[in-house]
Amino acid sequence: MGRATITTPAEREIHVERVFDAPRDRVWKAFTDPELIARWWGGVGEKVVVERMEVESGGHWRFVVHGPDRTDGFEGRYREVTPPERIVQTFEWDGMPGHVVVETATFTDLGDGRTKVTTVSLFHTTEERDGMLQSGMEEGLNSSYEALDALLAEQP
Amino acid sequence: MVQCSGGLDDSFHALSDRTRRGILERLGRGEASISELAEHFDMTLTGLKKHVSVLEQAGLVTTEKVGRTRICRLGPRRLDDETAWIARYRDMLEARLDRLGEFLENTKGER
Repeated sequence: MGRATITTPAEREIHVERVFDAPRDRVWKAFTDPELIARWWGGVGEKVVVERMEVESGGHWRFVVHGPDRTDGFEGRYREVTPPERIVQTFEWDGMPGHVVVETATFTDLGDGRTKVTTVSLFHTTEERDGMLQSGMEEGLNSSYEALDALLAEQP
Repeated sequence: MVQCSGGLDDSFHALSDRTRRGILERLGRGEASISELAEHFDMTLTGLKKHVSVLEQAGLVTTEKVGRTRICRLGPRRLDDETAWIARYRDMLEARLDRLGEFLENTKGER
């Protein structure tokens, strides 16, 4: 697993920007209130069940979308919640387990009663994710070994 | 592994555009000439050719000159699960933000 496979993140990013004719507090509430988010998150004819929504750093969210002929589960964790400016969260669809998208939503008050929402979605490939996992484990192992070495060195 | 990853980057760029996703969907139902595609997507031949060349570089489409027309069909690198998921994700995200706009509009008076 060579490090060379990793390219600049920008090539794996999707940027979407929208301006809403609503003050920032309302937009923020639409994103963070379980009752409100259920009213727009799903498509026409779909019912969104908010199973979990812990809007805080490290909190878990899980939505199940019931359509006329299928049911899809989505979930992730909030990594950063900074009201009313920024939410960073992970996003996974049950149908592609392990394919984690890191979503950053930024809310900008345009000062005229409108709000700009900018979303950046960063995709990780399976190869990269496995590579990161592996290197993390190696680091963990190495530091354990170092600690063990230090401990053993102290022994008479 | 390097090639596999590079291929994904090309696909990712190719799929970042709604028209290009539409072209793939159209070619999934059968081959078409550049001019047929241009007409279908209401674009100039030059504009459409640019999209097709991005798809061609990603290996998602191949083209072949037959007489005076250029025929396009799906290429050797079919949409695998991962690239299809990225395309679907993007459509889902855009549709969701559209619905948020409608929701905010419809709930203006609510507290």
